[in-house]
Amino acid sequence: MNTILELEHVVKRFGGLVATNDMSFAVEKGESVGLIGPNGAGKTTIFSLIMGEHKVNSGSIKLHGEELTRLRTHKRIRRGIARTYQVPRPFAEMDVLANIEVGLMPDSIIGMLTSGHSEDEGRAIARSVGLGEGDLHRDPAELSMGDLRKLELARTLATRPQVMLLDEVFAGLTAGEIEQISGLLNEKRQEGLTYVIVSHDLRSLEPLIDSAIAMTQGTLICRGSYQDVMNDQAVRMAYLGQ
Amino acid sequence: MGGTINWRHLLLWAVFLGGMALLPQLVSKGTLRTFIFANYLAIFAMSWDVLSGRTGYISFGHPFLIGIGAYTTAILSYRFDVPVGVSIPLAVITTMAAGTLFFLPALRVKGTYFALVTLAFMELMYQLVQVIRPDLTGGTRGISGVQTLTRGAVNGYYLSLVLMGTIAVSLWAMMKTRMGTALSAIGMNEEAVEGLGLNTTKLKLFAFMVGAGVAGIGGAFYVHYLGSIAPRALFDINFLFTIIVAALIGGASTIIGPMAGAFFLTFLLEYLRPILPGAERYFIYGGIALVLYMYQPKGIYEVIRQAHFKLAGSARHEHNP
Repeated sequence: MNTILELEHVVKRFGGLVATNDMSFAVEKGESVGLIGPNGAGKTTIFSLIMGEHKVNSGSIKLHGEELTRLRTHKRIRRGIARTYQVPRPFAEMDVLANIEVGLMPDSIIGMLTSGHSEDEGRAIARSVGLGEGDLHRDPAELSMGDLRKLELARTLATRPQVMLLDEVFAGLTAGEIEQISGLLNEKRQEGLTYVIVSHDLRSLEPLIDSAIAMTQGTLICRGSYQDVMNDQAVRMAYLGQ
Repeated sequence: MGGTINWRHLLLWAVFLGGMALLPQLVSKGTLRTFIFANYLAIFAMSWDVLSGRTGYISFGHPFLIGIGAYTTAILSYRFDVPVGVSIPLAVITTMAAGTLFFLPALRVKGTYFALVTLAFMELMYQLVQVIRPDLTGGTRGISGVQTLTRGAVNGYYLSLVLMGTIAVSLWAMMKTRMGTALSAIGMNEEAVEGLGLNTTKLKLFAFMVGAGVAGIGGAFYVHYLGSIAPRALFDINFLFTIIVAALIGGASTIIGPMAGAFFLTFLLEYLRPILPGAERYFIYGGIALVLYMYQPKGIYEVIRQAHFKLAGSARHEHNP
């Protein structure tokens, strides 16, 4: 076994609300895991904790065996983990290429001042997510939701992650766009990426994942193959109340 | 926004600065003195824009930085006979160091809080220079008889022009690197920049230190042009707003914008002086600023840019009917 990401007894409280309750799970290198649960289950909070956008109250989060909890977000990203957001958040007044370029920058003042712009690399990444030459100099406001998701993926891929946390990648997309993004994620996975995917669109999620983790009210209730998880009594209770 | 250095733009800079160099042959000494003030205001507005215009951290404490630069060189040269060639670099270093020391904690707070904290620094500085070692600062009366670097309006003008030109072209070149793109990205969405693996605190601190350095240079040379310094003239809300309005009215997050704003504002106030000698002038300038913001919030720079596109577009249209 080759564990790449590991959460152990992670707890996060917001005042009196326990958003993450003693959460432990591990993700193997090259694996794709679906994180499912009803609204408010705490799925996005897990992503925020892994990325350091929220601080854990207790527990540990490790990437390649290295403790992440004390690192700031930008350092975690440099270690090889990145996330996308439910609502894409592009730099509104920059074109597509400049947006991708921010992800390609070195985290060093001297590096930024002396290294040239990486337009070719940016173009290659844009192409790899299906953004055409004609899209490169468009502003985010002119893009469809599908293209915005592609831009978000491109920008995240530019940071060269080994693990990607994908939050509701299919939200707001047409059937055609979902198919396109799924194909793209599968393609990138062949290149060795590891995924944790949150999605409400279970039908689109199923073919993308090797296993699923179900959670409700901040607590892990079941882990196993997609079918096993969906047939689990506790999961059915959480989703359907039956 | 960042981009590669465009040689045509570099040529335009050369033409603009070359044209400015011819001004002493064309205008009166009085007008030249107005230009000198406009050049220094342009330096202050550009330095404000490096941090506030780009990253959106609106500083209300800019005179604090200018004041450190101005007072340091004035005290060193006037009280301790330090040569100006030494006192000015020391003043710039002191501005960057003291500014960083005071503002670093402020960079952790955002929005209105940052603005208020920086405003407090300016007021604090105003109070402090009057009571702490007035034998050095000259207290409320300030210091007069500070050594001047040039004699006559023409030399003073050339010095201010060389300073403004060097600073403008250097900042322009810096903003064309990835640094410019990263700072603008912070202004649009700081969390997203951090989420792409960049240390935003380090970037803001760098922007702040560059801005402080430029403010220090401007403050130090300005005091050696005026030959005197007084706390109320520097740490004054009107002076602060003149800097901010110059940057905003011209077009924040650009280099030409703050310069254009500084010239526009200086000459507007100057030409209104014979008609409205009192503070009523500020009503007119406030009104013009308001109309401009309503019509084009991105300032004079954007008005000129769009006019240029329209002309270029219609020219293309004529060539390719």
